[in-house]
Amino acid sequence: MSKGFASNYRIVVLALGVFLCFSGVGVRLVFLHVIDRDQLLRYVDKARRQITPDRAKRGDIIDARGNVLATSRSLVVVQVDPQMLRKEDESKWPELAALLDLPFKDLETIFRTKTRPAKPDDVDNDDRDIRWAKLGENISEEVYDKITALKVKGVYGDRTYCRAYPHNQLAAHIIGYVNKEGTPAAGLEHYADFYLRGQDGWRESEKDGRQHEMAQFRTREVPAANGFSLVLSLDSSIQHIVEVELDEIAKKFTPEKATIIVSDPNTGFILAMANYPTFNLNEFNKASLESQRNIAICDQLEPGSTFKIVAASGALNESLVTPETRFDCSLDKIEYKGKVRGLPHEAHPFANPMLTVADIVSHSSNKGAAQLGMLLGEQRMYDYARKFGFGEKTGFPCGGEIDGELAPPSKWDGLTITRLPMGQSIAATPLQIHCAMSVIASKGQLLRPQIIREVRDARGERVYRFDPSSRGRVISESTAELMAYLLTRVVSSEGSAAKVEIPNYELAGKTGTAQKLINGHYSTTHHVGSFVGFFPASRPQVVISVIVDDGHLPGGGIAFGALVAGPSFKRIGEQLIPLLDIKPVSTIARPQLVLAGGRL
Amino acid sequence: MHKTDRHAFVSQLLVYTLVMICFTGSIGLGTVWLRNQIAQTANSIKTFEQRTAEVERHLSETTTLIAAEQSPDVLIRRNNEWKLGLTSPDFRTQFVRINENAEERLLAKNNRDLFAPGPTVQAVKFVLGGTH
Repeated sequence: MSKGFASNYRIVVLALGVFLCFSGVGVRLVFLHVIDRDQLLRYVDKARRQITPDRAKRGDIIDARGNVLATSRSLVVVQVDPQMLRKEDESKWPELAALLDLPFKDLETIFRTKTRPAKPDDVDNDDRDIRWAKLGENISEEVYDKITALKVKGVYGDRTYCRAYPHNQLAAHIIGYVNKEGTPAAGLEHYADFYLRGQDGWRESEKDGRQHEMAQFRTREVPAANGFSLVLSLDSSIQHIVEVELDEIAKKFTPEKATIIVSDPNTGFILAMANYPTFNLNEFNKASLESQRNIAICDQLEPGSTFKIVAASGALNESLVTPETRFDCSLDKIEYKGKVRGLPHEAHPFANPMLTVADIVSHSSNKGAAQLGMLLGEQRMYDYARKFGFGEKTGFPCGGEIDGELAPPSKWDGLTITRLPMGQSIAATPLQIHCAMSVIASKGQLLRPQIIREVRDARGERVYRFDPSSRGRVISESTAELMAYLLTRVVSSEGSAAKVEIPNYELAGKTGTAQKLINGHYSTTHHVGSFVGFFPASRPQVVISVIVDDGHLPGGGIAFGALVAGPSFKRIGEQLIPLLDIKPVSTIARPQLVLAGGRL
Repeated sequence: MHKTDRHAFVSQLLVYTLVMICFTGSIGLGTVWLRNQIAQTANSIKTFEQRTAEVERHLSETTTLIAAEQSPDVLIRRNNEWKLGLTSPDFRTQFVRINENAEERLLAKNNRDLFAPGPTVQAVKFVLGGTH
């Protein structure tokens, strides 16, 4: 037998060598995996493990026609590490400054400042290296692509989602905004944050020595769930019409404040709501707090004559009067519950002071309204005011709504029963006044004013739908129809707002001119003029409220509602006719039918 | 044990050891290759994710720009800049309301055409590859 290719000695030495090597490796493995395991794992975890957040995209706010009112856009914060800058890139600095819209001198200062002086309490007195400086924020992707193409070493960007409002000031008070810290601060952004914000995700993985993620070591991953989108009932075309009209009012009458609200009386959904003053949502930080207030729900004012619909509706609904019942509106005093009460003055004198209920409404008689209130009595007058929605929040889904003021009869003084029916001794928000008029247009129902139609998920599927919501019946349907007819007479040739009429469209409305309460006294120079109404009266399709606070007529005089608000109502109405396809009403003998209690 | 047998045994052991080393080495290399493939796949998935995110970012940017261009203020400005002369329709002069039933009106029109004395439609003959 052959001896083999190796000698005994060599084989033993080689075998021993291999054994020792394996033993060495085995011992080291025991040390690494058993003895030092916990310490090493802690070290590895600290050095290599990373959790990367995956930011959810905030949902959009969309109007009734699908226009995007609020969305999230990607923006880049461009930064620099001055220590990483290279000499050969200096020729690219001017172009970089131009792309960043930064003066070249400023950019050069940032780039050349490489150290920060040591603090006085620093014992080593060493200047510290600057490793980070911000060059610009809100840089668009397009510009950032150009910056990246320059390949300036040390310049890099961090992406972030930022809220954008493509229509600037349109519906600013409704939409609200998300502030620089990402906190929803106002409007629907704040109210519906639960739906809009989404849920951030995260990813657990490891990183290499250059801080790059090693994707193969991803262990757990929770994807981000983007926020839901809101579909509003608000129509940006109508909103634009309303805001243009507010601009006109502001230019012509220089009011302190003004509000216009447009809604659908059949559902209660708001089609437009705008205030003056307003602000640009993309520059909310430059706007005053005063201009950011949604006056329509945050401010209260005396409704004035627009409130007379409450007294008239109540008296008609209780069958205490008919439209033909006459009242002596020349009286200065009247006896009520054994006491003589002073009646309010009329704004306009009447040729024949014996006014019917229909005349009281159309001529806006203060004495007549007071007598209707006295006929109802304190408790019923108060109950009807509450039923019409005064003295409590409407439930409008935007923050900051106030209750208004309506004292219970136990707190009334002797004059309140004569002043409340004409809209004094009460304070209401413009939206409450609008809702009260909507009761007549909605056939006697008080509907909750709503703005959110639908909630949709990120794929556009409907998650929730908001349906019309009734807050209760206020007056009977026949009373509402009768009141609607009586209100058409306000804009007729004999009414208080004859110039507001749109032929064939049966406008129904009520003017209001309330004296402002200044330092506890009713002012004779400062007024709140309003016009609140709807059309067509027989089948209402739109309710419009125009309220102008402290407007000034160019030629001087009292800023009556018919003068400062009525024309705006008409102009808005005329523009809404083609937009909402409102058809004219055939001119059959409707008055006789309605007065006879008939239906059309 | 015979000396020659011992040598043969040691030689065999050495060969087996070398085979084992080659085998475990192959397994080791295979594992490294597999891990490399996993890393490459993971990195390509990551690249796709980054590209998807980039596309989404550009999409949101474009959506914002389109929405801004569709705002009423911009549309009015463009109308003036480009002198398009577009105005809102005037419901008094440009709208014609039809009070009768539209379906009945169309039906009557159709019937009139059907029972009209002369031919209402001119016959047209088409010839393949030539003029009619």
